[in-house]
Amino acid sequence: MLIAEEGAAVEMNLQQAMQPKSPANGFGRRRADRDWGTRFENKVQSGKAHTNRSSNAGTTGKVGVYESPLRDRLVYLTTCLIGHPVEVQLKNGSVYSGTCYTTNAEKEFAIVLKMARLIKDDSLRGQKAECVSKAPSKTLILPGKEVVQVVAKDVSVTIDGMSNELQHAKQQEIMIDSFISRSQLVETERELEPWVPDKDEPQCPELDNIFDGHWNRGWDQFETNEMLFGVKSTFDEELYTTKLERGPQMKDLEREAVRIAREIEGEETRDLHLAEERGIHLDESFDVDEETRFSSVFRGGAIDDGGHEELDDVVLSSHSSETFGGPSASCNKKSAELTHAKSNVGTQVLSTSSSDEVQCSQSNPCADLHHPGSHDRAAQLALEPPTSLSTLRSETRAQEDRHCEHGELDSIKEHVEEKMLTDDAQLSKGKDSKSLDGKKNESDKGRLSSYTTAYTPPSHVFPKYNKKTSSPGQLLDGVASAKGAVEMQPANTRGRPGISAPSNSECAGALPTSSVPGLSPCSSMGSLSSEKSTLNPHAKEFKLNPNAKSFTPSQTPARPPSPMSDGSLLFSN
Amino acid sequence: MAMEGSTINSEDFTVGCLLSIKTTLGEEFDGQVITFDRPSNILVLQEGSKPGPKRNIRFLKANYIKELSFLGQAEDPLDIKKCYIDLHRLQAREELAVRQAEADAERIGVGVTAEAQSIFDALSKTYVSLSLLLWCYISLLASVLCF
Repeated sequence: MLIAEEGAAVEMNLQQAMQPKSPANGFGRRRADRDWGTRFENKVQSGKAHTNRSSNAGTTGKVGVYESPLRDRLVYLTTCLIGHPVEVQLKNGSVYSGTCYTTNAEKEFAIVLKMARLIKDDSLRGQKAECVSKAPSKTLILPGKEVVQVVAKDVSVTIDGMSNELQHAKQQEIMIDSFISRSQLVETERELEPWVPDKDEPQCPELDNIFDGHWNRGWDQFETNEMLFGVKSTFDEELYTTKLERGPQMKDLEREAVRIAREIEGEETRDLHLAEERGIHLDESFDVDEETRFSSVFRGGAIDDGGHEELDDVVLSSHSSETFGGPSASCNKKSAELTHAKSNVGTQVLSTSSSDEVQCSQSNPCADLHHPGSHDRAAQLALEPPTSLSTLRSETRAQEDRHCEHGELDSIKEHVEEKMLTDDAQLSKGKDSKSLDGKKNESDKGRLSSYTTAYTPPSHVFPKYNKKTSSPGQLLDGVASAKGAVEMQPANTRGRPGISAPSNSECAGALPTSSVPGLSPCSSMGSLSSEKSTLNPHAKEFKLNPNAKSFTPSQTPARPPSPMSDGSLLFSN
Repeated sequence: MAMEGSTINSEDFTVGCLLSIKTTLGEEFDGQVITFDRPSNILVLQEGSKPGPKRNIRFLKANYIKELSFLGQAEDPLDIKKCYIDLHRLQAREELAVRQAEADAERIGVGVTAEAQSIFDALSKTYVSLSLLLWCYISLLASVLCF
C-alpha cells in the first residue's frame, strides 16, 4: 500500500513536529502541528516499526513489511474523514452528528467530534423521540468501546474529488452577488431555474400553484384599468429606453453592442468596486475588509501615484472633490451645525495636511477639482499638500493683504494661517501670521506662482472681489463661471517674476482669497453641482475668535477593518 | 448465503466484494468492501453507486453484524494510485467546517420546540444577518402572541 503525502512524509514529520525545531515545510509551521502530531502519531505509528520513507517532497513511501495494506487503507480512509461531517452510532443506539476531528482505529474505533449533536436518542426506548433541542457539544469524545459504526456521506477519497472541494466550500461561505450572477459572462446569460420549495419546508399549499400559470396569464393591467376606471394609459416604453430596431439589422446592432460592452468592461480600472464587479483583483492588500470591498463609498484616489491605494488619507480625488474627501468626515459632521467659516476652514485646510500621499500633478486632479464649473471656494481649500504648506502660508499671508478691506476675511485668513501654523512642524515662517496689514514680503508673492486661487464665488455674493490667479490655464477654465463676477488678476500683472507652470510635485491648491462673511464652506457642499449658489445670505457674520483653541488633527490612521464576527457570516444552507 | 453472527468468518471480507448486512441494532444496508482491518475488527464499506469521486462510506465494527449476505464480487473500489492526503487541505477543511458549524449552531435554538425551530429556519433562508433575523423572529412571535 502506498500512501503518498504532499510535502514530506508524515512519519518523518511526526518526529520533528514534536520537537521545537520545525521542518521547513508547512506541516511543522502550522500552529496546530503539535496537535496534528499527536493525532497522527497514534494513527500511523500504531506501535509498529518505523518505515523508512524518503523525505523528498511528493515522493511515495514504501510500506514496511510490518504494516498491512488493509490496515493502511483503514488509516487512509479515516484520515479522509477529518473535517467531514459524520454520524456516529453508539452501542446504546444513539446517534451523534458532528464534524470529525480525529479518530483512533487502533483497537476500537474511537472518534472525536466537533460541534456534535445528538440526533437520535434510542437510549430511552419507548419514549417519544420528539425532544427539546440541546446545545451542541463543542468537542465530543466517543470512546472506541461504545462506537458501533461511523457513516460519512460524500467523502472525497481520491485526489480528483478533493481538488475543488475547499475552494467551493469557501465560496459558499459568502454568496456574493457576483458569484451568483457571474456577470463577467456577458454573452451567456445565467440559466434561470424555476423556484422550488425545499423539501423540508413547512407545507405552504397556497404557494404551490402560484407560478404554474403562463407568465402573464392573459392579464393586461392597462386594459383592466381602463375598463374599470376609464383611465387611459399613456405609457410608452420608448420614452424610457432606446428604441430597439427589430429587423434584419438587429443582429449587427447586437453584435456591435456586445463588442462595446466587452470593451467597456475590459477597460483597466483602478476603482475597487468596478474591479470587484468585473472579477478583477486589485491590490491584494490585507486591510481591504468586506466593508471596503463591497459596500462603502470609495474614497480613494483615482490618482495613480505609484500604485498606492491609500484609500483613507487621500483627500484629493476626483470623486470626493465635492465631498471634501475622507478625513473630512469630521468636517461633514460639523457642517451641519456650523455657521462659522472658522472651524470649517480650519478643518478643511487641516485635512489637506494629513494627505501625505497626495501627489497632484498639475493638470489632472486639480482640473478635476475645479472642473464642475462652480465649486464653492471651500472645496478648493482642501487641496493643499503639506509639502507646499509653507508656501501656502505665505500665499495666505500675501493674499491677506489684498483684502484688508474685508475685516472678516482677514480674520479668516488669520485663522487659517493660525491653524496651519500650529499643525505643520516644518513651519519656517514663524508665527507672524497675526500681521494682517500689508507687511508682506514681496518674496512671498513670488512663491505664489504655483497656486491657483481658482475661486468661483457665487455671482451674487461678491461682485467686487479681488482675486489672484496663477497661470495654469486649465484651472482658469474651471472658474469660468466666476469670471463675470470676479475681477481676475492674472499673476503676470503683479509683476511677479518667474511665474510659470508649477512644478509637478506641487498641487495647485486653491486658497480662499477671501471668505464670504458668515458663509460656511462646508454647508454648501451639497450644492456644488449647480452653478447657482445656495449660500445662505442670511447667515451670521463670521467673527474670528482669537482665543479659540486651535485644532490639531490626530494622525488619521487607515480606517480600521471592521471587526468580523464569525457569527454574522452568511452561510448558505 | 446468509450467515449468522457466530459463523461469520473474517476471511469473507475480501476487498471489492458486495455484501448485504444487518446489524444488531436493526439497521440494514448494502455495500462494497473497501477494506477490513482484523486487529480492530473494523469493516469499511462503500455504499451507493454514485458516479464521481465522492462516496458514502461506512465504518462498521464487525462484531455488530447480525446477518451477512454475500452478493457478489467486484473490483477494488479504491484506486490506490489516486490516493493522496493533503494535510493542509484537511486542516483547512476542518477549520472551515467548525466555523460553519458554529455559525449554524447560533441559529439553532436551545430549549425550543422543533416547530419553533422550523419557523426560524424558514426565516433564515432569507440570508439576512443573524441579528436582523432574530429581530424578525421575535417580532413574529410577539405579533402572534400579542405581547
